[in-house]
Amino acid sequence: MNLATLRDRAQLAEPRDLLRNPVVLSLLVLLALFAAGNLVAPGFASYGSFVNTLRIAAFLGVIAAGQTIVILGGGEGIDLSVGKIATFSTVVVAQVSQGEDERLLVAIAAAFAYCGLIGLANGIGVAYLRIPPLVMTLGMVGVVTGIIRVYSGGQPEGRAPAVLSQVVNGTALGGVRGSVWIWLVVAVCTIWLLRRTTFGRRVYALGANREAAFLSGINVQRNLVLLYVASSLYAALGGIMLLGFAGAASINLADQYQLISIAAVVIGGTTLAGGIGGYLGTAVGAVVLQTMRNLLIVLDIPAAGRQVVNGVILIVLLSLYGRQRRLRQ
Amino acid sequence: MKTPTLPPTTTLLRDARTWLLQGRLPITTAIALLLATLFANLVVADNFLTAFNIRSIFANVIPLAAVAVGQTVIVLGRGIDLSIGVIATLSSVVTVSVVEPWGLPAALLAGLATGAACGLVNGLLVAIVRLQPIVATFATSFVWAGLALYVLPPGTAAAPRMPDVIVLGYRDTLLGIPNAAWLLLLIGLSWLVLKRTRLLRHVYAVGGDEQAAFATGVRVARVQVLTYVIGGAYAAIGSFAMLANSGSADALAGGGLTLASIAALVIGGTRLSGGAGGAGGTIIGVLVLQLLTSLLVALRPPTDVRQLIDGLLVILALALAGLWSGRRRGR
Amino acid sequence: MAFLEMRGVDKRYGGVVALDDASLSAERGEVHGLLGANGSGKSTLNKILTGVVAPDRASIEVDGADTRIDRPQDAHHRGISAVFQELSLVPDLSVTANIVLAFESTRLGFVQRRRDRERAAALLERFAPAFHGNTLPLQAPVGSLSPGEQQIVEIAKAIAREPDILVLDEATASLYSAQVEVVSAVVRELRAAGALVLFTSHRLGEIYDLCDRATVLRNGAVAGAVELAETTEAELVELMVGSVTAPAQEVVEGRGAASLEAARDVPRLEVEGLTTDRLQDISCRVAAGEVLGLGGLAGQGQSALLNALFGAVRIRGGSVTIDGQPALPRRPKQAVDHGIALVPGNRGREGLFPVRPILENLTVPSMRGRARFGVLSDAAERAAAVRAGEQLQIKYGSLDDGVMTLSGGNQQKVVVGKWLLTDPRVVLLDDPTKGIDVRAKAELYEVITALTEQGVAVLLNSSDDDELLALSHRVLVFFEGRVVSELSGNELTRDRLVADSLQVAAT
Repeated sequence: MNLATLRDRAQLAEPRDLLRNPVVLSLLVLLALFAAGNLVAPGFASYGSFVNTLRIAAFLGVIAAGQTIVILGGGEGIDLSVGKIATFSTVVVAQVSQGEDERLLVAIAAAFAYCGLIGLANGIGVAYLRIPPLVMTLGMVGVVTGIIRVYSGGQPEGRAPAVLSQVVNGTALGGVRGSVWIWLVVAVCTIWLLRRTTFGRRVYALGANREAAFLSGINVQRNLVLLYVASSLYAALGGIMLLGFAGAASINLADQYQLISIAAVVIGGTTLAGGIGGYLGTAVGAVVLQTMRNLLIVLDIPAAGRQVVNGVILIVLLSLYGRQRRLRQ
Repeated sequence: MKTPTLPPTTTLLRDARTWLLQGRLPITTAIALLLATLFANLVVADNFLTAFNIRSIFANVIPLAAVAVGQTVIVLGRGIDLSIGVIATLSSVVTVSVVEPWGLPAALLAGLATGAACGLVNGLLVAIVRLQPIVATFATSFVWAGLALYVLPPGTAAAPRMPDVIVLGYRDTLLGIPNAAWLLLLIGLSWLVLKRTRLLRHVYAVGGDEQAAFATGVRVARVQVLTYVIGGAYAAIGSFAMLANSGSADALAGGGLTLASIAALVIGGTRLSGGAGGAGGTIIGVLVLQLLTSLLVALRPPTDVRQLIDGLLVILALALAGLWSGRRRGR
Repeated sequence: MAFLEMRGVDKRYGGVVALDDASLSAERGEVHGLLGANGSGKSTLNKILTGVVAPDRASIEVDGADTRIDRPQDAHHRGISAVFQELSLVPDLSVTANIVLAFESTRLGFVQRRRDRERAAALLERFAPAFHGNTLPLQAPVGSLSPGEQQIVEIAKAIAREPDILVLDEATASLYSAQVEVVSAVVRELRAAGALVLFTSHRLGEIYDLCDRATVLRNGAVAGAVELAETTEAELVELMVGSVTAPAQEVVEGRGAASLEAARDVPRLEVEGLTTDRLQDISCRVAAGEVLGLGGLAGQGQSALLNALFGAVRIRGGSVTIDGQPALPRRPKQAVDHGIALVPGNRGREGLFPVRPILENLTVPSMRGRARFGVLSDAAERAAAVRAGEQLQIKYGSLDDGVMTLSGGNQQKVVVGKWLLTDPRVVLLDDPTKGIDVRAKAELYEVITALTEQGVAVLLNSSDDDELLALSHRVLVFFEGRVVSELSGNELTRDRLVADSLQVAAT
């Protein structure tokens, strides 16, 4: 093989490069999932079904936005407490509002404030006490579980104010539910935040090389704290939306998002090492995961089999584009 | 030419730094935590030193200890296994399902093989397919959980049980020392043996600097696969202790062991990014977690507050340990 | 047929050609130089030989037999071992464990620690003169050793495998002269014992001292294979880069140190009694437009001073003023606010955001000044990056390309360029030309000159004594965290610098 053929190959390789783009790849996977679902259950790939998938994926999408930011910030950054914080947020909103519309704003403010404080604690632990993020946020799960218990007495009271439920579940333009519109706004803001603000640039800089970021005059610790505060605020918002959807709070309503939010981030092409990726991929990743879950329900296999298939599909998805660099280049 | 000699202060500084870098500080912290929790228990709980209490502490500690030692081997090699608790579950339902038809030794062997096989799959996914360990093992945990549900669906009327010999023997004593304590000693000894092998040396090398180990000729992928296999085998051993402790298996138990095993190894001073630490510290970490729980039982706080205190104590222990293991370099 | 024959070696990284039909032929009992400017493919060729990098195409013959090298283990089995520019030591493992790594003495799979320790001790004996006669602590983790000591361990580790072919790729870069001599002696011993040593170094002196023949690479292809005894330094440099004269010389000719005498009364930067963990009572004044050189053996506090002035390490005492204003920084951010810039010593680890585009690498330190309430304008960011790129003559395809697609010299220019955009008053340069090729060096020297013309005070640490002497108006010589002498005017000679560095009387 001489150089000329190598160069030719490089020219031809462009469509393949597109396939290496994680966002494109996850969109293709999404199409494949819908196609597969439609074979099993006609109507699976209909517009209505798609919009309905988006409606549920919105909760994961919003919570995973915070996870994306933390992971992009690197340094083994990860937030295992997002699920529990989102749960806490549902409990706070339900209890503070007591289901009354006029108290909704106060309740939402309280949820953001309390959850923000938890994120602040996570951030201080990671940035100033230098506790590894995995450990800090893992420990925080236990603490928040305790806080929820104390706060609710083990039996969360209250329910979602009617307005909240209407906003989240109501249909607007084209049969699209409120949760999807909220998510869309969140997505646009997040992408803008990461791409067009100094904060976003700092997030990527921290993730790409923390030492260089420090030596470029970035206040590493303060920005690390901001990452975890941001993550907890996204989780709080996800929890508020989830309460609107579910109607009532429980002590584990959003716990499932703890690890699945990480899967959404990785499937979206953001590397756990930090510095590479973005929110667009995560958003698609969230839809992929929700579609996969729907597909499993449609397939109607027993719980045991469903779990196995769930795991296997996850592995296949991850091996499509969650792979790490080879040691030998 | 005059040869400059190092002034004594430099050597002293270097010795101190050496001491720290060799990882003694984390283990010292762990031991201090162990002594503190032990002391607190002695002060607070009147029945702490009763034979029954000591027996049950050891009996409760073994499943987590075995799983956490396995997790430690994996973490030392720069991996992590979020499915390790579920592997223990799967291994326990396999063991208990075949103990009646096949007999005890065959059943234990089947359990061990199950754990090692699960570890092998995890290892291949991480080292050969090169998936990121956190997400890969999170995905496989669904598979193991599904398989466990398949082998032993919950709510089965006549659930199989372990032979009474095992269940009674587990809570018995030998030479005045609880059998479970002997088991813990065995687990510790197995680590000491393992640690002297060439494989474990290579695990430390891979965890410390993967690229350097590779360039030196360490078979990085093989080493990583083997850490997961060893981790799975230890999870199986943990599952036997679960079975002996409760007599029967539950396809939904064991999941909590995963995160607890990570907490234990961090408290024990193993660095999460690999290459430093060891299972000795992990066992101390497991004991610390258990003593915190028994302390809480003894304090009898209002039930509502109990979980919060538990969470705060654990995070405090993690913070104290993480303070040292987290900082790799000065900044 | 030579002992080692590499032919038709091709390697591309993405769109960048690293090696294009490269070849190499060398005999047993020879020290063979492998030369070339940065990005010429030397390291890639070395790494292909040792199995660390997979070639697109290559034929390798060792001792007349076709040899496939797919992994480092294959290379080890063929008796090839290597010391690379970036170390391949595991910091947490002990000196012994590192030396015997993957070659442990074992019985039934168990490591025999005592035998390994004896092997390591015997091996390090040969290097004893490099540690002033002391031996290295065999049990200490390698991470606790100084860079020079680590380099020696790395070399010892390669020799422990009793190689037929030893690759030394910039293995002497972080050593000072006494240590280099020890390594040279060991290399000669190996040559006498019939081994082949492939030797790569940026210091031509070492090449002439050690090598018999040399293969010169340029842009991934072989530019020539020469007998060193019959080749002059100028001919060698011309083979490496086309045609360029030694750049440091040019700079020194165009410089009149006398013009600075007047300006020195009003120091731009004044340091009084600065003390940190690694520095004792450092005082100095630097005038606007002056280059103050920091000399001495490697690691005697030069980098520590630069890091301290930049707020990157904790300062125990002393004062720093810039233009008469107190400017003692506690973090780099404060230093940046005071108009200080640091080009750190290790550009990969401390200077670049490797996975990010050139644009972000150039604009991050200065973006705050262009942002409005934290919001960036894409056009303004790009304009700033283009400006820095032009000023430094950075050769890039697109600002959105990853910074690692650039050659080493251009990467270093990015690290310098990101600071030019902050309009600094004081620039701290920590070995800015380490490991970059002759042409990029010359261009960086021009930038330093331009900076001084704008009235910037420059502090320059360099491991290259000639460069230090050529660029600096004055040189502070460091020894064990203290300034032991200040050289200026006609004291600025190589002899004085070396003598003061070693703390011996000048001959």
